[in-house]
Amino acid sequence: MTPVIARFLLLLMLFGSSAVQAMEWLKETPNLLAKVQAGELPPVAQRVPADVQVVQFSPDQSPGEQGGQLRLLMGKQKDIRQMVIYGYARLVGYTEELKLKADLLKSIDVVDGRVFTLHLRKGHKWSDGHPFTSEDFRYYWEDIANNPELSKSGPPRALVIDGQLPKVEFPDAHTVRYSWPVPNPYFLTALAGASPLYIYKPGHYLRQFHARYQSEDVLEKMVKDEGKRNWMGVHVNRDRPYKATNPELPTLQPWKNATKPPAERFIFERNPFYHRVDQNGRQLPYIDSVAIGIASSGLVPAKTGAGESDLQARYLRMDNFTFLKTTAKRNNFDVRLWQTAKGAHLALYPNLNTNDDVYRELLRDVRFRRALSLAIHRYEINQVVYFRLVQESNNTVLAESPLYRPEYQNDWVQFDVELANRLLDELGLSERDDRGVRLLADGRPLEIVVQTAGESTEQTDVLELVHDSWLQAGIKLYSIPSTREVFRNRIFSGDAIMSIWSGLENGIPTAENSPLALAPTSKYQYQWPQWGAYYESGGTSGEEPELPAARELLALSNQWSQATTHEERVQIWHKMLDINRDRMFTIGIVNRVPHPVVVNNSLHNVPTTGFYDIAPGAYFGIYKPDTFWFDEERR
Amino acid sequence: MLRYVLRRILAMIPTLLVISVLVFVIIQLPPGDYLESHIAELQSQGEAVDEQKIQFLREQYGLDKPLAEQYWYWLIGMLQGDFGYSFEYDLPVTEVVGDRLFLTVIIATATILFTWMIAFPIGIYSATHQYSWGDYGLSTLGFLGLATPNFLLALVMLYLANVYFGTSIGGLMDPEYIGEPWSMDKLVSILEHLWIPVIVIGTSGTAGMIRRLRANLLDELQKQYVTTGRAKGLPPGKLLRKYPLRIALNFFVADVGSLLPTVISGAEIVAVVMSLPTTGPLLLSALQSQDMYLAGSFLMFLALLTVFGVLISDIALAFLDPRIRLGGTANK
Repeated sequence: MTPVIARFLLLLMLFGSSAVQAMEWLKETPNLLAKVQAGELPPVAQRVPADVQVVQFSPDQSPGEQGGQLRLLMGKQKDIRQMVIYGYARLVGYTEELKLKADLLKSIDVVDGRVFTLHLRKGHKWSDGHPFTSEDFRYYWEDIANNPELSKSGPPRALVIDGQLPKVEFPDAHTVRYSWPVPNPYFLTALAGASPLYIYKPGHYLRQFHARYQSEDVLEKMVKDEGKRNWMGVHVNRDRPYKATNPELPTLQPWKNATKPPAERFIFERNPFYHRVDQNGRQLPYIDSVAIGIASSGLVPAKTGAGESDLQARYLRMDNFTFLKTTAKRNNFDVRLWQTAKGAHLALYPNLNTNDDVYRELLRDVRFRRALSLAIHRYEINQVVYFRLVQESNNTVLAESPLYRPEYQNDWVQFDVELANRLLDELGLSERDDRGVRLLADGRPLEIVVQTAGESTEQTDVLELVHDSWLQAGIKLYSIPSTREVFRNRIFSGDAIMSIWSGLENGIPTAENSPLALAPTSKYQYQWPQWGAYYESGGTSGEEPELPAARELLALSNQWSQATTHEERVQIWHKMLDINRDRMFTIGIVNRVPHPVVVNNSLHNVPTTGFYDIAPGAYFGIYKPDTFWFDEERR
Repeated sequence: MLRYVLRRILAMIPTLLVISVLVFVIIQLPPGDYLESHIAELQSQGEAVDEQKIQFLREQYGLDKPLAEQYWYWLIGMLQGDFGYSFEYDLPVTEVVGDRLFLTVIIATATILFTWMIAFPIGIYSATHQYSWGDYGLSTLGFLGLATPNFLLALVMLYLANVYFGTSIGGLMDPEYIGEPWSMDKLVSILEHLWIPVIVIGTSGTAGMIRRLRANLLDELQKQYVTTGRAKGLPPGKLLRKYPLRIALNFFVADVGSLLPTVISGAEIVAVVMSLPTTGPLLLSALQSQDMYLAGSFLMFLALLTVFGVLISDIALAFLDPRIRLGGTANK
């Protein structure tokens, strides 16, 4: 392996020399200087791509200096994948304004939304110094996605449109072309995801574990040594770019894992071949290494308060805010309040597929769902549980989204028990028992059991308040906590009448983001799990959507995937949002819940406000943690 | 004696087999399997779930096989020293447990020593000075120790140690020593952190032991041979050490049986609260995520230690106290 790299580096030095002059403005990274002088690493001008990406700073950010170690806290060993999310180096990625932009790629050409030509940066290298070329895309496409043993059911779903596979070509070392016969609107967003679709793999490293390139004897020995069943197990285990568990796996992220699990503390070191530099010619990331301490998640707020983390948001909750504020001064950090971008922090999901015939009938009547929403005193919930810091809203897009309209947020959200009572009377639920609880058609009292996943007391607190105001409309509420798996199984099986969970994952979408979450397309949509399963399985399981509105949503989402213009997509989005507003398939309670973010005072360029959410922001990812820097005392 | 030991060892085989079946069944009782709880976790974080990959993993992990077959693989593997594969960590179970075992033993040993050092003198004092001010005072302290919830004590002490001594919160050493080779500084750092878990885990054990020692000793002190000895003019110290104390120690030897598994399992709750790098939190999280081989092998190991511990304490008791008969047949 090593002689190959050495020979290759030599080659590179020979024909890279002309580029060197043009890149004289680049400055060597201080903590790599020794290695460069010892000849273990090429100088910076040969490490970065010839068409290097120069980072643009926003007005409130500034270029900094390299050095220092960032300390983070995580609750589990598996959480080290957060570094791949925070690092957020993607083929194309979202900017802070949520626009898609080429990142690892130099550029990308899209024709008719169906032909994607990816242009790679010349001289771009993996973290081990091997060139990053179209060969790595070929390895993925031919040897992984289309290998019948590694991918039994073929390439992943984002690459298959209407059952059609793309034509994938590799015209030269720096060009890759994916073309579909019909538009594929999911492709770019999948590449830009926080947990992205990897259509490139470090073939030069992985081929030693692949049956096509490695002899059977060697593979057999590896299989045996690692306790796997076959070579696929060995290959998959090495090839986990998202989990970051294999320190040997070359990466393109700003930091690469240097600690082999299991461990209680992981060190991520700078990727010396990273593709971004600042305007002063300093290679990013600024921060030399990241140390991730693993502590029980319950202890993370306390440890953060004791100043043991430089940048922490994970495992902090709104109710830690006051504690963190009191210790902030003593331990030299700042507590900022960022926002969550979910469509609803908490939403009630009436299960339209419940087994109970009477309740199913009732829940499918829009008047009933509206009455439920009107009878929730959201203002009181905001006051009592959230210190008046949140927005009372439906489960819909937030004001920051270009698709936002006030009526999506506000219709049927006001507290109006009178109207709710009138709607319920209209439904023929006018009989009441001696507690004042309405009676169903079959004589049972109207008692709604809301399932919770039992993960936080916050949900039960809110439900307690909902209980009080619903009672004024003659509805009795009970809540049942369970565990996450049981919770989901009860909803799928139809045992649950209603459940509480968070709302739309991405509350700040643009028309280019998929609107699938608004239509019955997944069994994890708790308002219509069976209809979602029907779509997901292509009709082999689940039930066909029965409500016309749900069918229309499905038709609209199909239209969206075939739309070719921005205007068309905007229109479809609005139609879908409007149906959801009118039909109230989910009953949002509040959104825009602040999330505390602790930032050490020595750490610069971390925005004072932002969105803290995995989609689309990749948590800190779109704010470019590789541009965060430490001032002198921490370098 | 030899026949007795042999018979006991042979009886251990079916016992352990039954335990292994129980362990396996109980781990499988909650709905779903590891991959399902894994999917649920990803979903709740808003991360993408690739159904194809899940299907692939299900085959790789053998979760698509019938339960009986999974059990059989596990059992055969264990007999050959292969404890299976941890899905959560993507590593063989032995590698996952590795280092943690050592730190667990350190904490457990320190805790046991702490417990004995405190409990013995106090227990003896309380028994010999029954109903004195000292007895009342120490008993009150003991009950306090027994009654304080461990996790609460742990949090309070963590906070105080952080504010007044600057000790980092949780863990067994300062972060910079984790994963580093052993050195003097690392040892000092461990000692700085060790005393909190030792005191927290030790308090309830200490209180319990004081009570038991006091009660057992009081029983003996009332007996006629003690009175006789005292009448014959034996010095009080010798009188105490020579007979009543030794007999009162029977319970202590019997305790050894349960001691071994505790040494390995660590005090789970305290370890989770204090984020100790011991085996307790590992077992707990394995059970939660249905990482069945890790949890199963762990529980089997504990069962094995319990069975062995009981055997050892039985043999030791038989040696120590001739009044104890080996099996009922000796009566005839």
